[in-house]
Amino acid sequence: MMIEKILKSIDHIPAFPVTILKVREMLRDEDYSIADMVNLIKYDQAMAANILKMGNSAYFGSRQRIGTLRDAVIYLGRNNLIRIVQTAGVSRYFSRRSRGYVEKANELWEHSVAVALMSQILSRKVLGHEDDKLYLAALLHDVGKTVMGEFVYDSFGKISLLVAEEGYSFLEAEEAVIGINHAELGGKIAERWNFPEEIVAALAYHHRPDSMEKSDNAIAWLVYLADQVCLLTGMTGGFDGLAHRGISDVMHKFDFYEQDLERGMMTLIEELSHAKDVLGIV
Amino acid sequence: MNEIVVGIADVKFSNHPEDVLVTYALGSCIAVAVYDPVVKVGGLLHFMLPDSSLDAEKAKLAPGMFADTGVRLLFRSCYSLGADKKRMITKVAGGASILDNTNYFRIGEKNIMALRKIFWKNDVFIDREDTGKNYNRTVRLEISTGSVFVKSSEGFKCEL
Repeated sequence: MMIEKILKSIDHIPAFPVTILKVREMLRDEDYSIADMVNLIKYDQAMAANILKMGNSAYFGSRQRIGTLRDAVIYLGRNNLIRIVQTAGVSRYFSRRSRGYVEKANELWEHSVAVALMSQILSRKVLGHEDDKLYLAALLHDVGKTVMGEFVYDSFGKISLLVAEEGYSFLEAEEAVIGINHAELGGKIAERWNFPEEIVAALAYHHRPDSMEKSDNAIAWLVYLADQVCLLTGMTGGFDGLAHRGISDVMHKFDFYEQDLERGMMTLIEELSHAKDVLGIV
Repeated sequence: MNEIVVGIADVKFSNHPEDVLVTYALGSCIAVAVYDPVVKVGGLLHFMLPDSSLDAEKAKLAPGMFADTGVRLLFRSCYSLGADKKRMITKVAGGASILDNTNYFRIGEKNIMALRKIFWKNDVFIDREDTGKNYNRTVRLEISTGSVFVKSSEGFKCEL
C-alpha cells in the first residue's frame, strides 16, 4: 500500500535540530550568556553557516554588520535571533531535490518563507506582537510536501484530473488518490519531532482549521490565513496553486476586513524584497 | 530573445523586437498587456490591488501596485515610445481566486471589476482575456509580434 510506504518514509526524515530547541530554552532566561549561546549554535555547523549567510539581510533588521556568530548573537536581538535560528535550522528540510509539487526545491522554500512572513504581519495586527511559535509553524506548514512530492509525482495525472474535471480541491484529490494529504502528513512529522500539540494541529489542519477539535488554536487559523493570502499573491507552494478551499469564518474569528488583508499583501511584497539572502540559503 | 521579467507591482515596456516581457505566478493579481502593432511598442503591467486610495503614499512609490495608477503608467510609458491609444491592443489575464465562491477575500474579482471600470471610463476595449478560475498563470508578450501567451499552473498553454 502506498500509504504505508509514505508513513514509513517519514522515519527517514532527519530529527528536528536540537539546537533550535536549546536556543529557545536558553532565550527563556533574560540574562543568557552570549558565550554560551555562541557555543551552542557553533556546534551545529550547517546552521551556523546559514546564519552567517543571512545575518546581514534586512529581513532580520540588524543595523550592525554581522561577520561572526558572536555578532549575530549580540546584534540581532532576542526576537530576530530566534527567528534566524529557526529559519537556518528548518531550511535543511527544504533543500533536497523535490518534485511532484514543484520543479525546483527553492520554490517550496520561497513559499514557506512568504507564509512565515505573512504570519507575522497578521500576528502584529491580531495579537499586537510577533510570535515565534507561529513563525515556526508557518515556516514548516508544508513540510509534508517534501515527503509526499515523490508520490504526488507518480500520481500527478490522476490528481490533477480530479481537480480540473471533478471539482476536487487538491487536498481532497490527494486523499482520494494517495490516501493521505500533505497537511496530515506534515502533522505526523511534527508528532515524530515531539512538537507541542498546537503546532502539530497547525500543520495537520492548515487547509482545514474548521475541522480541528480545539477550534481556538489561533496558530492554526493564522497559518491557514497566511497561506491563503500568499497563494493569492502568487507565492504558491507548487502545482496545487489556488486549488484550496476558502473558509469565511477566519475573518470573523480575528475581526479582519478585506482591506486588512490587502494592506497585508502590500507589506508582504515589501518584506519579501528584503529577504533575498533568506530565500537564497536553499 | 531577451527576456525581461515584470515583477509584482511592476511595469515594463519596450520597442526592441528581440524583447519578450514576462510575468510569473499571477494569482489574484492581473497582468495587462498592451501593444501597438504599427510602431511595435508593447508594455506589460502586473498589478496586485484594485485601488490606490488604499495607500496614496505607496501608490507614488510603486504605481504598478494598483489598477488605477498602474494602468495609467502602462499607457503613458507606451505613448512615450510612440504608441497610439487608438491602435493599441489590450489583453488581460489573471484575477484568479481560491475555491468556493462564498469566498471571504474576493481580491481577484475586485481586481477584475476595478480594471473593467477604468477601461470603460477611458474607452479602452479589452480584446482578449483569460481571467478568474482557480489557477496561477504566467504571461508573455513578444515585442516583435505582439503575441501574448498564457501558461497555467495546471500545465496548459495558449495564445491569448
